[in-house]
Amino acid sequence: MNIIVAGLGGQGVIYLTRLLAKAAIIDKHSLMVSESHGMSQRGGSVVSHLKVGGNKAPLIQRGTADLLISLDPDEAVRNLPFLRRGATVLVNSEDGLMQEVSEQITRLEIQVFSLPANRMAIELGSPAVANVIMLGLTTANPLFELNYESILVAIDIIGSNGKELNIKAFEAGFNSGKEKYLEYIYSPSKNSK
Amino acid sequence: MSIQTILGNEAIALGVVEQGCRVVTAYPGTPSSEILSGVVKFKKQLNRNIYTEWSTNEKVAFEVALAASWSGLRAAVAMKQVGLNVASDPLFSSAYTGVKGGFLIIPADDPGPHSSQTEQDSRLLALTAKVPVFDPSSPEEAREMVGLALELSERYRTPVILRPTTRLCHAVQSLEIDDLIPPENAIPEVKFRKDPKRWTATPKFRNLLHKELNNKLLEIEEEFNKSTLNFVLYDDINSSIGIIASGVAFHTVEQSLAELGNQIPILKIGTPHPLPRKIVEEFSARFDKVLVIEEPDVCIEIQLNSREKVHGRFDETFPKAGELTPEVVTSILHTIFNKAGITVNSPPNDVELEDLVSSLPLPIRRPRLCPGCSHRSAFYTIKKEFGSKGIYPGDIGCYTLGMNLRAVDTFVDMGASITMANGFYQANQILNDKRPIIATIGDSTFLHSGIPSLINAVHTGARFVLVILDNRTTAMTGFQPTPANTELADGSDAAQNVSIVDLVRACGVDYVKEVDPYNQDEFQELLQAAFEYSQSLSGSVAVVIADRPCVLYDPTPLNENPIPVVITEECDGCRYCLEVFECPAMSLSSDKSRVDINQKICVDCGQCLDSCYKGFILPDLTSIINKQEVPSLTRSD
Ligand code: SF4
Ligand code: SF4
Repeated sequence: MNIIVAGLGGQGVIYLTRLLAKAAIIDKHSLMVSESHGMSQRGGSVVSHLKVGGNKAPLIQRGTADLLISLDPDEAVRNLPFLRRGATVLVNSEDGLMQEVSEQITRLEIQVFSLPANRMAIELGSPAVANVIMLGLTTANPLFELNYESILVAIDIIGSNGKELNIKAFEAGFNSGKEKYLEYIYSPSKNSK
Repeated sequence: MSIQTILGNEAIALGVVEQGCRVVTAYPGTPSSEILSGVVKFKKQLNRNIYTEWSTNEKVAFEVALAASWSGLRAAVAMKQVGLNVASDPLFSSAYTGVKGGFLIIPADDPGPHSSQTEQDSRLLALTAKVPVFDPSSPEEAREMVGLALELSERYRTPVILRPTTRLCHAVQSLEIDDLIPPENAIPEVKFRKDPKRWTATPKFRNLLHKELNNKLLEIEEEFNKSTLNFVLYDDINSSIGIIASGVAFHTVEQSLAELGNQIPILKIGTPHPLPRKIVEEFSARFDKVLVIEEPDVCIEIQLNSREKVHGRFDETFPKAGELTPEVVTSILHTIFNKAGITVNSPPNDVELEDLVSSLPLPIRRPRLCPGCSHRSAFYTIKKEFGSKGIYPGDIGCYTLGMNLRAVDTFVDMGASITMANGFYQANQILNDKRPIIATIGDSTFLHSGIPSLINAVHTGARFVLVILDNRTTAMTGFQPTPANTELADGSDAAQNVSIVDLVRACGVDYVKEVDPYNQDEFQELLQAAFEYSQSLSGSVAVVIADRPCVLYDPTPLNENPIPVVITEECDGCRYCLEVFECPAMSLSSDKSRVDINQKICVDCGQCLDSCYKGFILPDLTSIINKQEVPSLTRSD
């Protein structure tokens, strides 16, 4: 499974990536991740490439990612070319992706699910947990291959901002995700919880 | 056995620790910075006795580690690729003298470049310096190569380079870790032994040493011809085309071939210098066409005896600049296969989607100084005082981004702000150009190589203002301590800190003032006074130290005195504040009618108050009264 995690410096892209990576090895997958460091972190676009069970090249090739998780709607659009036909986009946004891309999204059978994670995070008490809310949304997706329990263990091991709040944020994302996917293709048997 | 994830740089660090290096030094620089912090982490975890230091600069780091090697201990030094330029003097010399304990040099290259001023290839410097190179393709292989390189270094008494690149340094790979770590060996029964013909070789002996070095390289090449680090993948496949690849590019090629649905033999070179020519020639003889795929430059290609059927960077089959991304490699291989009449899959990227996305007006996210960064206040005030007629030589660090505020006009390399100011002053004398010159340099960079520059400027009578942006840490690369801190690389507080003010005075500067750049008015007055002094009859270089900790490194002073701000209803969206202050927390509203503050990232520094000349940015008095808690300043990226 090829996953792109995108966002802006300071939004917690790397933390989200590390949670996914941790969960992947708990699930005994081989893993190759590429992170942004240095100059690119100073407020610019940040993107990580995560290959679960793939080859050892650090970068995902454009047109081959299965999943794009974006903490910012513009960064989601910027990274769309990484997706393969039929891939999934999970985006932190009040109203999905910009109108201009909808035709291409339909043509390429890409599914977009959005969640107002910033607003939800503030309601939970900390704007910093929007990334963990998005992780909940990701985990609820029936096509997502990592186990619910493994994600929770990962949060437990490398939790920042207080574990309780993280778990709350994760569940909030997970539950809204379940509702969303139900409207589409949710089938509980595909997920461990 | 346990599987863990490990960052490329930390995989190298683990190799260095488990292979018994006793002295490890570094100067921080992206993409290499996590190597030394990794060594500190693993030496604590594994309870190993290793001396570690963040050195003043790369030359210093190199020589400290070299002396340990000459004393018989295993030693390693890490830096970014341009750092090896700084350390190139001891690099060349130590190749001649040789070493005693295994000596590993780790310069991290940056194809792209992502965070560097050049895309230079350390392997080419190694070629010139006559030092063997190991070129790892993954974190796992890098860790493995550390031991092999140290062992080779000891047997041939030569320094050896392990050359990772950005994508490897910042890759995180799953690895089996625990069981493989060998136990710590006892401190070897060695010490420094005098050997004048070697350690103090005069030119006559240097000539002998040079011959000795050439012979070593021949023998090492023989050895590399037999090394399992050089092997052929898909060896039994029939093909008219063969590929020679090294480093991360090897795995990129493997991936591209998979995408194209074709397999052809790939000779993976793990030791590009000295090039194992026998293997390479035997391999090449099998094909009509040989592609050489390596980064960032032509280390393998340049060593080939014949380039007749070779296609690489020289004939521009592969671009002469830029990173070999999966897209670049796949598209070039696709074209080559097509021309050769080999049917393959189309590249997986969707051109229609790519074209659409690149045509959209997505916001350009250039890197910017953090919200609340004291450098922004300093640049804003410098610009306010000297305007667009000032000449602003800058330097290397977060504050290079002062260019966004148009208060950095040049950057060349570490320490060059001061020497460039010196040179501009002399040129302006000849050109009768009276514009003020204001140089900016960070604390770590000043200590790295600003001091000789400052001595030179004072000594030759140059007149300019030097602002030392002292934020008390090496912020850009992850907050490593500088010699002005009491912190050592291992986190202990035992360092003797040197005083930047005293150093400046000792360089012969009479005018030195310290000021908190958050006090914009006071800072501006001082800048004015400093400039006047520099131009006065007995004037010289005037130094102003802008003293305030990096807001991420130490937010205490900010948290003690937060100043929340509001932008009033009257804001008309003229964008002036965005232009002159460029705080990431301020942005144009979606209907472009006004500027809004993003409370999620605003740190309540109040530094933007002055940036609206119409006075529409005001202290948020209600919030100051109500708000007890300030948003916490953590940065998880
Ligand atoms: S890390 Fe520190 S010095 Fe660097 S831009 Fe951010 S606040 Fe400024
Ligand atoms: S107070 Fe102003 S300058 Fe400081 S972080 Fe907030 S918006 Fe930026």
